[in-house]
Amino acid sequence: MTQTRQRRPVVLLRPVPGTSVIHELWAGTKMIVVFAVSLLLAFYPGWIPIALMAILLLATARLAHIPAGALPSIPRWLWILLAIGAITAALGGGDPVLHLWSLNLETGGLLKFLRFTALSVVLLGWGAMVSWTTDVADVAPAVAKLGRPARALRIPVDDWAVALALSLRAFPMMIDEFRLLYAARRLRPRAVLPDGSRRRRWGREVVDMLAAGVTVALRRADEMGDAITARGGTGQISAAPSHPRRADWVALSAVTALCVLAVLVEIRDLGGLGTS
Amino acid sequence: MTSTRPDALPSRRPGPGLPARPGRRLSPVEMAQASVMGALSAALAIISVVVPFAGGLSLLVTVPMGLLGYRYRLRVLLAATFAASTIAFLIAGISGFMVVLNCAYVGGMTGIIKRRRQGMPAVIAVSIVAGILNGLWVIGALLVLVRLRTLTFDAMTANVDGVVKAMSQFEPFRQSALDVRAMFGTALQYWPVLIMGYSIFTIMLVTLVGWWALSRVLDRLRGIPDVHKLETLDEQGPVAPLPVRLTDARFRYPGAGHDALRPLSMSVDAGEHIAVVGANGSGKTTLMLLLSGRAPTSGIIDRPGAVGLGSLGGTSVVMQHPESQVLGSRVADDVVWGLPPDARPDVGALLGEVGLGGMEERDTGGLSGGELQRLAVAAALARRPALLIADEVTSMVDQRGRDALLGVLSDLTDRHRMALVHITHYNNEAQIADRTINLSGSADNMVMVSPAAAPEATGPVPIPGHAATSRSPVLRLDRVSHEYAAGTPWAKTALRDVSFTVNEGDGVLIHGGNGSGKSTLAWIMAGLTTPTSGTCLVRDKAAQDCVGEVAIAFQAARLQLLRSRVDLEIASAAGFSPFDTARVVAALATVGLDGSLAQRRIDQLSGGQMRRVVIAGLLARWPQALILDEPLAGLDADSQRGLLSLLTDLRRNAGLTVVVISHDFAGLEQLCPRILHLNNGMLS
Repeated sequence: MTQTRQRRPVVLLRPVPGTSVIHELWAGTKMIVVFAVSLLLAFYPGWIPIALMAILLLATARLAHIPAGALPSIPRWLWILLAIGAITAALGGGDPVLHLWSLNLETGGLLKFLRFTALSVVLLGWGAMVSWTTDVADVAPAVAKLGRPARALRIPVDDWAVALALSLRAFPMMIDEFRLLYAARRLRPRAVLPDGSRRRRWGREVVDMLAAGVTVALRRADEMGDAITARGGTGQISAAPSHPRRADWVALSAVTALCVLAVLVEIRDLGGLGTS
Repeated sequence: MTSTRPDALPSRRPGPGLPARPGRRLSPVEMAQASVMGALSAALAIISVVVPFAGGLSLLVTVPMGLLGYRYRLRVLLAATFAASTIAFLIAGISGFMVVLNCAYVGGMTGIIKRRRQGMPAVIAVSIVAGILNGLWVIGALLVLVRLRTLTFDAMTANVDGVVKAMSQFEPFRQSALDVRAMFGTALQYWPVLIMGYSIFTIMLVTLVGWWALSRVLDRLRGIPDVHKLETLDEQGPVAPLPVRLTDARFRYPGAGHDALRPLSMSVDAGEHIAVVGANGSGKTTLMLLLSGRAPTSGIIDRPGAVGLGSLGGTSVVMQHPESQVLGSRVADDVVWGLPPDARPDVGALLGEVGLGGMEERDTGGLSGGELQRLAVAAALARRPALLIADEVTSMVDQRGRDALLGVLSDLTDRHRMALVHITHYNNEAQIADRTINLSGSADNMVMVSPAAAPEATGPVPIPGHAATSRSPVLRLDRVSHEYAAGTPWAKTALRDVSFTVNEGDGVLIHGGNGSGKSTLAWIMAGLTTPTSGTCLVRDKAAQDCVGEVAIAFQAARLQLLRSRVDLEIASAAGFSPFDTARVVAALATVGLDGSLAQRRIDQLSGGQMRRVVIAGLLARWPQALILDEPLAGLDADSQRGLLSLLTDLRRNAGLTVVVISHDFAGLEQLCPRILHLNNGMLS
């Protein structure tokens, strides 16, 4: 029996099976946390905020029982790119200089590269944490609740929340559609075209596939429009109430405290470890 | 409903439409368009971020948004942008979010320019302005985010310094390396200028590519039939749809040459269970439209109050297509979807009534066709309708699902104070009604289908005229197993140790229910999926190494028809020149289609013709075998019979090897004498 090694794929919009404290949190809480972390790291991308948020991320992953297998396989070309980046940055040198016996290592460049990479990884990780622990059905109701104040600005939050809910329902169908289109193209022999450069052929093919995809999407939209009309237009989108509970307030307070701590450390520049 | 929708089935108006109702809220059609196009954009963006080397796709995210900008008001575009960018953010974080946001901005702009009938100069001018605005926004953001800017620039400088240092070791490159370093330093000093230039350049590039693609796609979309049926009614007064009385009601679609419904007199009283039968084209669906509120072309429809489509105590409609009926992502959410905010139906009891008890928390994406339709019935019942119209609800559902659905429908009128109008083309379904209305006039010219019972699994049956021994194996599967997302928490086994052989000229039916792994098996046989273990050989070659030698016709025929015209499509699928008219005509003849169809646009074909054109293209390559995934789904009885006899003939007389993947048996005995049952990924 032959066993082919499979790469772990990126699984879209499906929470890790099972439940946990983190799974049970309100979807709105998780979105606020990710937004806050992104904002913090955008304004203060120093080592201490990055480290604090990384620790918080790992602790959350632990609480949510996320196995290592949830991470998609990292393709080899990405490793190679990272290695090239690290090597060139290390050669760049600069302060601080590390004295090892008789060697003077200039680590400034490497440290900056590492900080930038760590920042990207932590941000990606927080984004993934939301999709790993949140059922898509909970997203739109939470958005509707969070967006309620925007109604005062005459922003049609309710319509947007319904559109988001329906989009999330249609999204897997669209992904399947592209999977099928790609398969249909693979099944064909290489095109025999009497005229045209490779570029023109590529353009024609892209338009062909896009037109087929859009045609099927339009049909789906027509049918979905009928289904909405049959229900008398839009209204409720979820059966269960969507609001924060006690655990959510605890989580939000903890994250707020950590963020404030990180900002204070950065402003005071404790130990000279912050931005340099 | 907006005027972007012509009244009935004729093609979409090529020109842009303006909303007839300047109301604030989105209409159902606008909402559906915004959601589906939003999902399409998000899917394109995600694929471009997640799949390596598909980055170019992100240039095309503009097209669905451009389409919305072209056809609908700004409000629709904004709703779609919000939905698409939120989805992209949930999956790919801030990078996906930015891709979608940028593309919605650019795409919406091109769509609006197109609607205003402006040309290339306007596109260039607008893209420059848009580029400047975008540049200002990015520069502003970087001015505020001082530390992030410093870090990014420092990291870049370190990389450049490293490269320069390494290059300086080699004398010939020394000077140019130092020049590069100096240039980079200057560039960083004037970073706002650089960012502005970059922003204008990329926005212009994306706009031009988007403009080009949108123009092409819009050309293609001309003449695509609009299949939406129901209209939102502008009604006043109390809801009271019953009793309804039709007197010589006749309906003709605007611009059509004949009546879709000939003059009909009938009535529906409270508590009645009525079956409506009739041949294709006799006006069954048109009658549904009249009962759900459309005004007849002539004649009278009399009811005591408003129709109340979808309102409490009004009229509810369940339609044909299971996947499109269901709007919620979770079963319980779908039941309440669209209800007024204060309505609190007993979701558990409603689900129990349709046989879905305890499934409140299930994801609707994993339900079978029959379950989806029963869920749609539950959602209709949540409105306590006075009149429920079921329009061919069983036609896309397998046998078991059909039985369960009929079980639910049969005693609805006993348990609720409501009338049921059941439109169907199945004999046995009409029999459970109190009375039957036949739209075809007389009973004997009706096309009625009787669903087949499940036959026993059988071994290979020799084809008459062929000696069984002379037939060589075409497909050989040896202990094939497949697991999706292996190694992750989402791992799911689709197939387990499946072994069988398909010989030349065989007709094999692989039968299985929802989630039995039959589609995975079809993809493995076609070489599109590599099994996690075991082998699938096509004439001694691994299937995944000879994609295309085993042909596969997917259930969604439209997605397999990539070219715009029949002749181009067949030539492309078979690999010969589209100018080779003789071969195109010959290919069409093999599937029983006339050569005059060669110039026809794909979107003017009927569902049955689409399937045949797909098969024609596949057969013109002389494949080793032909796999058909649910070949009869969505076809009416006539097309079903025609396609079956065509395939049976090809197998018997041309020696074509046929593998059918289906959840149904009806009429397949002749085509597929051999049946394999697939259950939970295993052959039984």
